[in-house]
Amino acid sequence: MNSTEDSLAGEQSRRELLARMGTGLVAITVDTAFGQLTPARARARGAPLRNLDPAEGRTLEALGEVLLPGAAGAGIAHFVDDQLSRENPMLLLKYLDFTAAYTDFYKLGLAGLERVSQAKFRTSFPDLEPEQKMEIVREMSQKDPAAWTGPPAPLFFFVIRNDAVDVLYGTPQGFQKLGIPYMAHILPAQKW
Amino acid sequence: MESVDVVIVGSGAAGSLFAASLAQKGKKVAILEAGPERSMGDLVSSQIWSRRLKWGGPPTDSAGKDPLSVNFASGWGTGGSAMHHYANWFRLHPEDFEMKTRFERGLDWPFSYDELRPFYDRIQTEVGISGDAEKEVWRPAGAPYPMPPLQSFAQGALIARGFAKLGLRTSPLPMAINSVEYKGRAACVYDGWCDAGCPIFALANPLTLYLPQALKAGATLLHNSFVTRVLTRTAGDRATGVEYFDAEGRRQVQEASVVVLAAYAFQIPRLLLNSRPGGLANSSGLVGRYMMGHAGGNVFGLFKEDTQNYLGMTGGQLLSQESYAKDPAKGFLAASQWMIGNALKPNDLLGIVNARPDLFGNDLHEFLHTAGKHLATMTFLGEALPNPDNRLVLTSGKDRYGFPLARVTHDFGPDDIKCFDAGMKQGQDIFKAAGAYEVWAGGRVRIHTMGGAIMGRSPETSVTNGYGQAHDLPNLFVAGSSLFPTSGGVNPTFTIHALALRSAEYLAQNWSSLV
Repeated sequence: MNSTEDSLAGEQSRRELLARMGTGLVAITVDTAFGQLTPARARARGAPLRNLDPAEGRTLEALGEVLLPGAAGAGIAHFVDDQLSRENPMLLLKYLDFTAAYTDFYKLGLAGLERVSQAKFRTSFPDLEPEQKMEIVREMSQKDPAAWTGPPAPLFFFVIRNDAVDVLYGTPQGFQKLGIPYMAHILPAQKW
Repeated sequence: MESVDVVIVGSGAAGSLFAASLAQKGKKVAILEAGPERSMGDLVSSQIWSRRLKWGGPPTDSAGKDPLSVNFASGWGTGGSAMHHYANWFRLHPEDFEMKTRFERGLDWPFSYDELRPFYDRIQTEVGISGDAEKEVWRPAGAPYPMPPLQSFAQGALIARGFAKLGLRTSPLPMAINSVEYKGRAACVYDGWCDAGCPIFALANPLTLYLPQALKAGATLLHNSFVTRVLTRTAGDRATGVEYFDAEGRRQVQEASVVVLAAYAFQIPRLLLNSRPGGLANSSGLVGRYMMGHAGGNVFGLFKEDTQNYLGMTGGQLLSQESYAKDPAKGFLAASQWMIGNALKPNDLLGIVNARPDLFGNDLHEFLHTAGKHLATMTFLGEALPNPDNRLVLTSGKDRYGFPLARVTHDFGPDDIKCFDAGMKQGQDIFKAAGAYEVWAGGRVRIHTMGGAIMGRSPETSVTNGYGQAHDLPNLFVAGSSLFPTSGGVNPTFTIHALALRSAEYLAQNWSSLV
């Protein structure tokens, strides 16, 4: 019997399979020098990023915070950075059939945002006033702002916005914040 | 590798059924799956984790005015795309098989609905479908469903109210999801995690039935085995097996008497085009042509009532096919349907977040909190007429094994767009009639993938015959939605199963003349 047959072995193992899918497994974790942590915990402990440099991480957090306040603290930069190390990343970017390297998408988009910020306000994006950040983000949601380079700005907006929602609301804890029952398959017997 | 009777490329809906059917008839069957091994225990209830189930192989460049969805639609690993499909199982309608004959547009299938009907009926009994055949008044002739319909919830009832006010009928959605325990498999618990894969055996994916049957009958299943070419005799008139690369990146050859290509609809034409200069099985020049996707979209509404949109099935609760009949008097030729009351999650491509892709900041927070309780939606699925210029071709880019990548170009035609626009208008009228206090329509998207190696009666106008047997190579079969000459206006997976069963039995019955 090969391993796939083992996994299909029958109804008696179904509950065992389900028992392995507790909420602990559902949590998103990132690999850091401190071991596996949630993105928020990785950020709180100052875990270094491995694909983005510190300035890129800071810009990503600042953009995430504009798109969905709370995303920075939830660890958007650590979530994205960790996924970029994986062979089959679980980033929404995958669904947009972007054929170039995912790391380039983020690096080029963040560089484009920084370029716009410098051209428009002579200040780095994270250091802009809230209204200035909003002005740039509002424009990039519709078109490439002047001085923008990199992937199309509206696409970059769409992806980072979804990353922000993933990290803040795409988890059992996030569902709870919205008052939406999570109902993982391990739980129905207790909930229904 | 030891030679086998049949090598099957892909372990999804069609591949697993082919494998089960042929292995049970005593054939030595090997299945090669490009992606990793997955068990039911890997189907984690999370929209983020569910992305592992989607295509992770060589990229396809998707181009055109209406680029087809590649990675979201394709599967990656055991069971292929059927592992994350929503199990909305419909029959094509009789006119879908005879578009050219009846309307002088599009293409004909090489057989009629009546030919496929018994295979729909048999699959329906074996796999199990929940529904209400009497209330589904548009349904083509066939045996009644073996299970009662699945439950519907507040979202479905609210939207159905709008249909009723406009004199439009609805019915329970026919789904390959158990409403009651069926043949030892559990009933649905309505938690809306279908897109992440159903680990409780309620939704019919390949791990519930056909892969276990195939393995029990002696078939072998190799994962991380990426097939790059169909191998042939020098003349190119008979397949001798396939070339693939294993998990360690080593080139391997699996010799076989018969080759069945059951990969997803982007990889089948790519594989044929990569197998031989000018393409294998391509004397018609049609390999890669007639790529199709349904013209889909969602209508959304906010209701004062609690819509309970977290309950139910991703594919929806109710159906309306009042606009299915093809009628040129409408101003376009296309079938369409509504799938009503899709279960929603906050995040992901089809999540609540993208019901309003324009919102950000505190407005997005506010919307997510409101919509989590009060949003309702329904999905429009419109037919797209076959167009040979919607085409997959090879590019100068190479995959990790050195084989050309693919580009697929796709535009919807005028009929497809008119049908979609009429649907979005109708949908918003329905939501207003239902009492939604805010109503809007989402954008036009591409749902499902069909065509690229179409079946037909003539070697000049099609790649395979009605059994998926290549006109040019009698021991090469194509399975899956690549074969569809027309898309119809319904989800393709039930038809994929019916075609695969019919073809597998034809192959077994004619074995001695094929090998």
